[in-house]
Amino acid sequence: MTAAATDKLNRLAINKAGGKMVADYWEDVFLARERGQKVVWYNGSALNPIFQAAGMAWCHGEAFSARLAAQHLEGPAQLAGSEYGYVGELCSYARTHLGAAVLSQKRSAGSANGPGMVGLPEQEELASRLPTPDVFVNAYAGCSTGQQWDDISFRVFGKDVPIFNVSMPFFWSNHPGEGYMVGEEWERSSHYVADQLRELVPFLESITGKPFDWDAYRQNMAYIKKASELRQEAMKLCRHLPAPATFWDWIGNVAHINFLPANQDLVDFYTAVLAEVKQRVADGVGSVTSERYRVYFDGFMNWNHLGLLSRKFAAHDVAVVAGRYTHHAFWQEPQLIDPEGDVLLGQAQNNLLCPMNHSTKTIEELVLRDCDFYNVDGIVFHSTRTCRAFTNPQRIVAKGAQEKGLATLFFEGDIADASFYKDEVLESRLEAMLEGIDVRRARV
Amino acid sequence: MTAHYLGVDLGSTTAKVVVLDEGGAIEAAEVVQMGAVSRKGCAQAMTTALDTAGLHRGDVTASIATGYGRRLVEDIDRTFTEITCHGRGAAAMCPGTRLVVDIGGQDSKAIALDDEGIVDNFAMNDRCASGTGRFFEVLARAIECEIDELAGLALQGDKDLEVSSMCATFAETELISMLAQGERREDIAASVHRAVATRTVGLIAQVGRRSPIVMTGGVARNAAAAHFLAEGMQAEVTVPESPQIIGAYGAALLARDGAGRAAVGAGETTTDAREPARSCNTCDLTLTMGGPR
Repeated sequence: MTAAATDKLNRLAINKAGGKMVADYWEDVFLARERGQKVVWYNGSALNPIFQAAGMAWCHGEAFSARLAAQHLEGPAQLAGSEYGYVGELCSYARTHLGAAVLSQKRSAGSANGPGMVGLPEQEELASRLPTPDVFVNAYAGCSTGQQWDDISFRVFGKDVPIFNVSMPFFWSNHPGEGYMVGEEWERSSHYVADQLRELVPFLESITGKPFDWDAYRQNMAYIKKASELRQEAMKLCRHLPAPATFWDWIGNVAHINFLPANQDLVDFYTAVLAEVKQRVADGVGSVTSERYRVYFDGFMNWNHLGLLSRKFAAHDVAVVAGRYTHHAFWQEPQLIDPEGDVLLGQAQNNLLCPMNHSTKTIEELVLRDCDFYNVDGIVFHSTRTCRAFTNPQRIVAKGAQEKGLATLFFEGDIADASFYKDEVLESRLEAMLEGIDVRRARV
Repeated sequence: MTAHYLGVDLGSTTAKVVVLDEGGAIEAAEVVQMGAVSRKGCAQAMTTALDTAGLHRGDVTASIATGYGRRLVEDIDRTFTEITCHGRGAAAMCPGTRLVVDIGGQDSKAIALDDEGIVDNFAMNDRCASGTGRFFEVLARAIECEIDELAGLALQGDKDLEVSSMCATFAETELISMLAQGERREDIAASVHRAVATRTVGLIAQVGRRSPIVMTGGVARNAAAAHFLAEGMQAEVTVPESPQIIGAYGAALLARDGAGRAAVGAGETTTDAREPARSCNTCDLTLTMGGPR
């Protein structure tokens, strides 16, 4: 890839300012204990508006692993996770976060310079800065690893930290009339999870020793709803040619909608995102300066290679215009949230709508619907090595896409373990896919 | 002035060069064994092929490079992936081809073609050399024979030993262990060929089974590899006369199609695989399940 090619990437400028918001959030988390705040570690669903209303500091496990990987600081944590005994072929989010747990626990216990991998000087880096937890909350939809992950975290901290588990039913959609947000299964599951979230509230009160602030929670959810609406509107504008923003831009601000505090700053940020996207549409400015192809990205983000991948696709004039991860995971159905009504129900429903928590049939429908909406030439499948839950339906979805005349390619990589990605493999396959698209266009 | 088209396939272990005349007939074809990707080996293959055709570099109208080392080939108009080139070459060499199985030195591919010979879908091995030419090199070293002797040995094997390693390096240990247990070289060779075929069938499953099937790449010269693939597929597998040059041949055809002179984009002229350059009668081997051994 030439230097000139890298200039083809035209990222949303607002994401740079957004980066500071994320950095500030984490600094705030790292200092939670100094402020005397209770700390919750949670995996899976975005329960942070609840934690925020409970007056707690919240650490999302996957988010911290992703941050370490994106900053190329995952090494010490992954070594520590391996040394603790977590298998390298299993979820690298979990391995990284468990390593961070080990490092945090050691630092907290004052044994930071002990023997073994975890005695490496690197432990003084970001990976060990998480404040130790007062409580775990697990609410993982569509993933079999989440509970085992928290089980190990529980043991890392000497089995002294209480766990609250929210059971998230999988959407089988096997009966007539059932599917995405419709049917008896949808209704039943929504209320089942909302009821558990209702039980979570007194549990958190028992941890904090303070009454839960329902007014604050409703306000948090109102901010989330508004931020999500702005984000959704901006995303949909990427249907325009050239696409004003891409999957990589939505990755660049995914943290905000996923776990930053719900407040006016969040709404202001997505207001600015939408404004920039609208301006680009008006000016005919694309996120890839010479868009010739547009594709959909199916798979988890490969956090270790965010910069490389965004430049690579741009260098080939490819706008990665949408993705299952960015478009189907983070409060993507804001209309379900009713801050003045049954607010927990809308929270539960959005939490359930995880892109791994649907039947293959539903996932195929969602992906192909997006492919139609964004008028893509093909789908790039990131076969995420240590996340079988996301990878599971991909071959079947690919067949459905091929039947609709879409080009497809698969490349192997991972969420947080850099070693599973081989650049030449993707480079060759991407070139081959684009050659195929050229041939098809020439034939029409 | 007569036009001439150059196709270069710089692979992981060999460089292949094909020169076509204006009508698409092969004027020269050259294969140079390199051992590793080498600019020198590639230059040698190009020089020899042009000499054979009685041409100088300046006589070439358009040129295209393919293969792992395609970006290393100097003084070339454009590059294409092996996927596109093998598809183009196989469709022209054996009209009607719907599935190309290309097994080279370090990778293997299943390429599905549509009824016009255009690439429809493809799958490649992901992370190991256990279904590739490198695996057969490991086998030859382990059972102490030359590469060319493998097919003869494998076709005499009767036993189906389990070769489970997904890694060529670990497989060598497995093969040595079999020898230590007293297994015959013929049976080990047959079992390795069967294991490679099994992995290739798995790759084919990703793009969907189609026929006719054409096998290309250096490994296709190994009659046992083609035989066990046919057995695994329960279908005929055709091997062109010179399976190694199909990628370079496809590259030269793409150059002739006009793809070498300008970047191919929407609305521009590109591949026309409907025009067969050679008759399928040139294919030298067609195997069926339970065929010649």
